[in-house]
Amino acid sequence: MVTFSSESIFHLGFFNVTNTILNTLLVDAIILGLVFFIAKNLSKIPNLFQSGVELTVEWFYNLTETIAEENTKKIFPFFMTFFLFILVANWSGLIPGVGSIGFFEEGKLVPLFRGTTSDFNTTLALALISALATHTMSIGTIGIKSYLSRYFSLNPINLFIGLLEIISEFTKVISLSFRLFGNIFAGEIVLITVSGIFAFLFPIPFLLLEIIVGLVQALVFSMLTMVFMAVLSTPHGEHAKEVSH
Amino acid sequence: MELLEKFGFDPVLLIAQVINFLIILYVLKRFLYKPILDMLKKREETVKEGLKQAEEARLLLESTQEKEKVIIKKARLAAEQMIKDAKTQAQEEAKLIEETSKKQAARLIEDAQRQIELSENETEKKLATYVSRLAIELLTKSSKELFSEKEQKEISQNAIKHIKQ
Repeated sequence: MVTFSSESIFHLGFFNVTNTILNTLLVDAIILGLVFFIAKNLSKIPNLFQSGVELTVEWFYNLTETIAEENTKKIFPFFMTFFLFILVANWSGLIPGVGSIGFFEEGKLVPLFRGTTSDFNTTLALALISALATHTMSIGTIGIKSYLSRYFSLNPINLFIGLLEIISEFTKVISLSFRLFGNIFAGEIVLITVSGIFAFLFPIPFLLLEIIVGLVQALVFSMLTMVFMAVLSTPHGEHAKEVSH
Repeated sequence: MELLEKFGFDPVLLIAQVINFLIILYVLKRFLYKPILDMLKKREETVKEGLKQAEEARLLLESTQEKEKVIIKKARLAAEQMIKDAKTQAQEEAKLIEETSKKQAARLIEDAQRQIELSENETEKKLATYVSRLAIELLTKSSKELFSEKEQKEISQNAIKHIKQ
């Protein structure tokens, strides 16, 4: 059975190169390859492929704009990158051979590649970056005073709400990381189990389901990050006013 | 912490993933979003500019057509005026020519009449002279035998006198 922790393939000094790290590199290669291919062939008169890329980028940009308004320029790169990276990472676990090609160690299969987002370290890293970036952006946009006023107040009720806000900031990280990890990891388990029952044709509906889950989870993670950023980058009072009506 | 380790938490892997994601973020920002968004912006500007220029060209064309119409109208009016002027001038000229020719003709006729009168007078005078001379000669010839020289002279002189009168 698959373990929660990723399996070590080899060691590079103190650095433990696991199968998820190898998969991360694969994901990087796919993304960077695409990016450089697009950047190199970028022309003023677009071909079909470039039009598709432009359409996607513009769609995401406009989506960010409807929510974040004046902070779009800062938030958009995080939103889009989280989406792209998580999407490719999720789908990379579905590539034939990933999770199934490996070597046997003590009678157990150790796959060479394992879906990047099915490693808790990856999702936690993403969630931490999301939270850190959100708070840094918040301080940078609305100022430290306005930022702190969200959590600390002389008014006892607001102080209590502030306390809840602080707790919710931690919950955000936990929910973001565990949601993504749980979904993708569970998906892999499901696929392994289903393939174990009958390996031909039978897993196809589950594979399709996993493709959708991968897309949805990428969207959920990136959208939530975007919304958190947009909310925290709006001054506290203004935000309260917005909620009130 | 123990709970996290159960899920396979490893600080080194975590840091590795953080660094990896930050690199990807930077690269995407630098090589994908910026060029594409710039390109989209530039294209939007180009299209806007193109539309504006097309609009300007349309307006220019319209105003030019209007101007053309005005010019053609003016030219037509001028041409009409010219033709009118020419006609009046021609008429005037024709009138003038007619008048002068009439005058000339009248003068010519007058001249001719005067000439005729003159020549008539002269002829009359000549005829008179001739007739009188003829009469005198006749008188002289016929009186030669009947009258004396003195009477002859008197008669002829008388005749001349009468004639002259």
